[in-house]
Amino acid sequence: MDPLNSRSQLRLFLSLTTAAAAITAAAPSARAQVTDEPNPVIFPDPTKFARGLYTEGEIGSVIFFGAAGGGKVGPGFAIGTRVGYDVTRFFAVQLHGLGSTHQTSFPGHPQDEQLLQLYQGMIEAKLTYRFGQLSIFAEGGGGAARLSSNLLATVPYGGGYLTRWRTGLTAGGGAGVDYHSLSRHFSVGLRGDYFWLRDISGSTDLIATTYLRYTF
Amino acid sequence: MQRSTTWLAAGALLALAGGCSALNEPIYIAAPAALDVMGTDMSGAPNRVMGGVVLRFRKPNPAEQMQLDTDTQRLGFKVPWLKRDRIHLELLYTVSNVDTDDGTFTVAVDGASEVVKYDETTIAAAFAAADVKTAPLALMAPPPRTLGAGQNYQGTLREDDFIEGELDLDAMGRWMAPFAAVLINRSDVNPVGLDMVPPNVVIPAMQEIDVTLIAEKHMTCEFMVRVRSDDDQLLDESGDANLFVPTPVVYVPNIPPPTP
Repeated sequence: MDPLNSRSQLRLFLSLTTAAAAITAAAPSARAQVTDEPNPVIFPDPTKFARGLYTEGEIGSVIFFGAAGGGKVGPGFAIGTRVGYDVTRFFAVQLHGLGSTHQTSFPGHPQDEQLLQLYQGMIEAKLTYRFGQLSIFAEGGGGAARLSSNLLATVPYGGGYLTRWRTGLTAGGGAGVDYHSLSRHFSVGLRGDYFWLRDISGSTDLIATTYLRYTF
Repeated sequence: MQRSTTWLAAGALLALAGGCSALNEPIYIAAPAALDVMGTDMSGAPNRVMGGVVLRFRKPNPAEQMQLDTDTQRLGFKVPWLKRDRIHLELLYTVSNVDTDDGTFTVAVDGASEVVKYDETTIAAAFAAADVKTAPLALMAPPPRTLGAGQNYQGTLREDDFIEGELDLDAMGRWMAPFAAVLINRSDVNPVGLDMVPPNVVIPAMQEIDVTLIAEKHMTCEFMVRVRSDDDQLLDESGDANLFVPTPVVYVPNIPPPTP
């Protein structure tokens, strides 16, 4: 081998590798591309909905059945509120207050066409199953119901009177559907509850309301 | 921020609860029995039957009594325990014609405050003694109505009717108002006869409501009194230990003797 020729080949090789090193040293570091299929995005993501302490405001109507039903105490406008706490994503406890106003119908008697209010205060447990923006729930509890006057205590019924005391026990439950607004804190819904009013001669009342919920 | 919102909500709830507790809830007191009147008397005049409701109020406690005494001393006249401005009354009645013929009825309402009692029969006796032929006037009386056989009528003497009646009662009993003038005229339209009533008078509320049914046919009247007491003065105990027992003076009109 010609030593002169081999020296010139080595010089060429070093020149090329030095130039290549100079070019590649200034270049940004290369990153690997993601080539895998991304995970499917869950939308909406219920984990991003606020959870914990919540309040609700509701409006609707209350309809009586049983001893006070049949039009004796007519259906009335209702307004209510709830304060609750989501213990888990599926279970909550809540305090519920509701007031409704009614007109009586006792034709031929002085108790006819009188206004009467019913106030109900309950402690309730609530189970929720959520699928996306919608959830369905069932709830139930008990508490006290108070009449605004003693009017029904002057109405004869079954050998006694329609009520004996203005304040009595109530218990019951119901279900509903909730629609989340995706604004983290707000949701709206519809619910129906059916309560037993022990001290209005065992009457029952159906509470049908629509509500707005704010979760802190 | 979140904490302040929580406290705001809690405050709103407390305010709501406070508002509910301040609701003025009426109490209904039914008459012990329905009035039942049948036909006319021997002179052909419609028969009349009376029934009453005496409201049960509690006595003032020592602090309230002290306040009443102070107010009485300051104003120079007796300040009643049961005040018209704090006790609101309404009478609900239903008259049923149980006869087979149509008939006319009148409902007349008398009664008493803690100071004075107005009773038509006393007025009638005073009229008779003075040989006055005028029919006595009721403290409050809706116009007569005709009722068909088997029909009924539901009537109300509203709170404003009682406001007027209580003023008339007090004006006659304490302030020498001519009774016919104040009973015939509504004070807000024509205050004739009320000249002696002090402008700062505290008018007593009625604590006894006497209802008279006057009918020429067989009719019945169910009635009840609706009471709103702003200061919870209605007695809610069954016992009488704390019962306020007033002794009103029966009003007797001063009728001048007939001119010879």
